[in-house]
Amino acid sequence: MMKCLCALAALSLAAGPALAEGKCTSAPKSKWQPRSALESQLQADGFSIRQIKVEGGCYEVYATDKAGKRANMAFNAETLEKLDNAEAGEN
Amino acid sequence: MATIRVWDPFVRAFHWSLALSFAVAWLSGEGPERLHELAGYAAGALVIARVAWGFVGTGYARFSQFVRSPAAVVGYLKSVAAGSERRFVGHNPAGGAMIVALLTSLAATAATGWMLTTDAFWGSILLQRAHSVLAHGVLLLALAHLCGVALASLRHRENLVRAMVIGDKRAPEPGDVA
Repeated sequence: MMKCLCALAALSLAAGPALAEGKCTSAPKSKWQPRSALESQLQADGFSIRQIKVEGGCYEVYATDKAGKRANMAFNAETLEKLDNAEAGEN
Repeated sequence: MATIRVWDPFVRAFHWSLALSFAVAWLSGEGPERLHELAGYAAGALVIARVAWGFVGTGYARFSQFVRSPAAVVGYLKSVAAGSERRFVGHNPAGGAMIVALLTSLAATAATGWMLTTDAFWGSILLQRAHSVLAHGVLLLALAHLCGVALASLRHRENLVRAMVIGDKRAPEPGDVA
């Protein structure tokens, strides 16, 4: 049983980083895309923006989509690439 | 040593469930979000249940038994400073004020947290700030609560943490407030 659990733990540790897609940038703020660029990108995608804040090397966005559904997203501040998980930015 | 039942099962289960809910909510403030929301709803529901129990519950659980006037609370705190405070079998006046403060601030924290999940307040910076300030207030109150429990336990040579687990306390002696 213990052997099983250890193997499982090792597997999940090894698989962890590979599964997490995208991460926040570690580049200095001078390399970041301006907030306005993210705003235009989001507006083009039909989002109404409620709030954009900086979380580490990410922009965290509170918005509603075309259908009015609430969305909480994180974007790499250097590339404006969307992270799979909004919470990944909150570290 | 003669003991009497002071904290009923509801009060004890409520107390530790609320402490756990707040701890989980505090630690999950930056995510995972689902866990944070669950802990917040649990805390809110527990506070509502406790308020109801404060009106219909057993003796020492009732607000009318332990909520005192601000003057009485100040008077009690002065007697603590002078080292002459009496032992209360139920909540002492400062403890009663702490319960009111904790229930109120926890209710406000849970309410603002829930509001942040609604369309109306989604992403509201102002409400996020209010929620955060309230949560920090609860944490400070909880720390003060721990200090009060430690102090009263030392002064009256009784383990108040154990009493909140077991439910029983030393029976009142001459000079104590039953």
